Amino acid sequence: MIKAEHIFKNFGELHVLKDVSLEIRKGEVVVIIGPSGSGKSTFLRCINLLEKPTGGRVEIDDQEMTALRPKQVVKVREKVGMVFQHFYLFPHKTVLENLIYAPMKVKGLSREKAEERAKELLEKVGLSEKAGQYPSKLSGGQQQRVAIARALAMEPDYMLFDEPTSALDPEMVKEVLEVIQSLADTGMTMIIVTHEMGFAKMVADKVVFMDDGQILESASPDQFFSAPKTDRAKDFLEKIL
Amino acid sequence: MLNDLIGGFKTIAPSIPYIINGIWVSLGIALGASILGFVGGILLSLCKIGNIKVLNGLARAYTSVFRGTPLILQLAIAYFGIPQLFQMGDVNPFTCAVLTFGLNSAAYMSEIIRSGINAVDKGQFEASEALGISYWPAMKDIILPQAIKNILPAMMNEFITLTKDSAIVSTISVTDMMRRSQIVAAQYYLYFPPMLVSLVMYYVIVLILTYFGGRLERRMRRSD
Repeated sequence: MIKAEHIFKNFGELHVLKDVSLEIRKGEVVVIIGPSGSGKSTFLRCINLLEKPTGGRVEIDDQEMTALRPKQVVKVREKVGMVFQHFYLFPHKTVLENLIYAPMKVKGLSREKAEERAKELLEKVGLSEKAGQYPSKLSGGQQQRVAIARALAMEPDYMLFDEPTSALDPEMVKEVLEVIQSLADTGMTMIIVTHEMGFAKMVADKVVFMDDGQILESASPDQFFSAPKTDRAKDFLEKIL
Repeated sequence: MLNDLIGGFKTIAPSIPYIINGIWVSLGIALGASILGFVGGILLSLCKIGNIKVLNGLARAYTSVFRGTPLILQLAIAYFGIPQLFQMGDVNPFTCAVLTFGLNSAAYMSEIIRSGINAVDKGQFEASEALGISYWPAMKDIILPQAIKNILPAMMNEFITLTKDSAIVSTISVTDMMRRSQIVAAQYYLYFPPMLVSLVMYYVIVLILTYFGGRLERRMRRSD
């Protein structure tokens, strides 16, 4: 279980998060939506401490991330996979090397074991034939699927998705969403920040609406999309749907 | 005058191989110094980008001093000054030259490497962090290889500069190509021919290095 309690984040004078609390139970898929600049991504990055909250606490499986030393934080991060908007594959490594590096270095897996697992994952995301390629030879959609496989190679208990399709050409969005959907079907616990409303409706157990650094609504997708409670959520949905 | 010149070359002809072979001394110094400079440069650049204030300051002071004083003076201090101060007797001038050039080059190299590291997308670090990779492995296996690839041309330039600048080791009695042409010049009391031989030789070497540098750069770009 992930618990975020009363998270505040300031960048200098800018207050990006103002008292954000959220709980994610095992097996739950939470989708965070909201206008640009509402603090969604920052909040997601606070969960695995890529961004250090100015105030509040984050707990992952009863371990208080915000109280740990940097070395221990690195350890807990193994349990939390993250997928970024801009993929951030390692450009000087092949697809297969991208997938086996962390399992070998961090988990101490043998090369054979790591490669075996990597190949399984590549098959799952439909990119077996790209194992020997460098990331620059792949399309955006393919790169993002590799990035998802890379995160899964660490066998995480949780996955964080930070606008995974926002940097993609429209025709590539579907292939990435399908991979995420199939991951949800396996019961993976996930937090997804996205602008894809149709996808949110389909995949989410819970939809969280953020605006101006706060959570304004938290509801089931049916409830939220058919009858949003706040005016700002109504406004937002009207603009994008 | 032309006859004098041709005659001059004829006179020093037996000594020309001696001058030319001095290039190995020059290249040896440049190579030794660039290895030292590379390792030192990486350490310094890591001190500069890290969060430890003391190391930060030390690395910056080091760079400032080595870049802010003449190399020929640093060489003189290393070869004449320090051994006398500490009564070390005779020191090997070649070793002394490699060390001084290496320490000096580390200062320049650290700035090159630092800018290379800064040019690597911050996301690369974040992706490593998110995978649970700790600072040093991430730096060594993910960030530095990308940084070095970007700065390879600049490092090649540094090596070429070192090769040329190595001529000043002639002032501490290392018999490099420069020194050898001075020796030959003094022996025959003929200046132009031996100097021209080493001038041409230096230029040829620099052209060759530039050519290989360009090829290396193109090859690196191909994997992008």
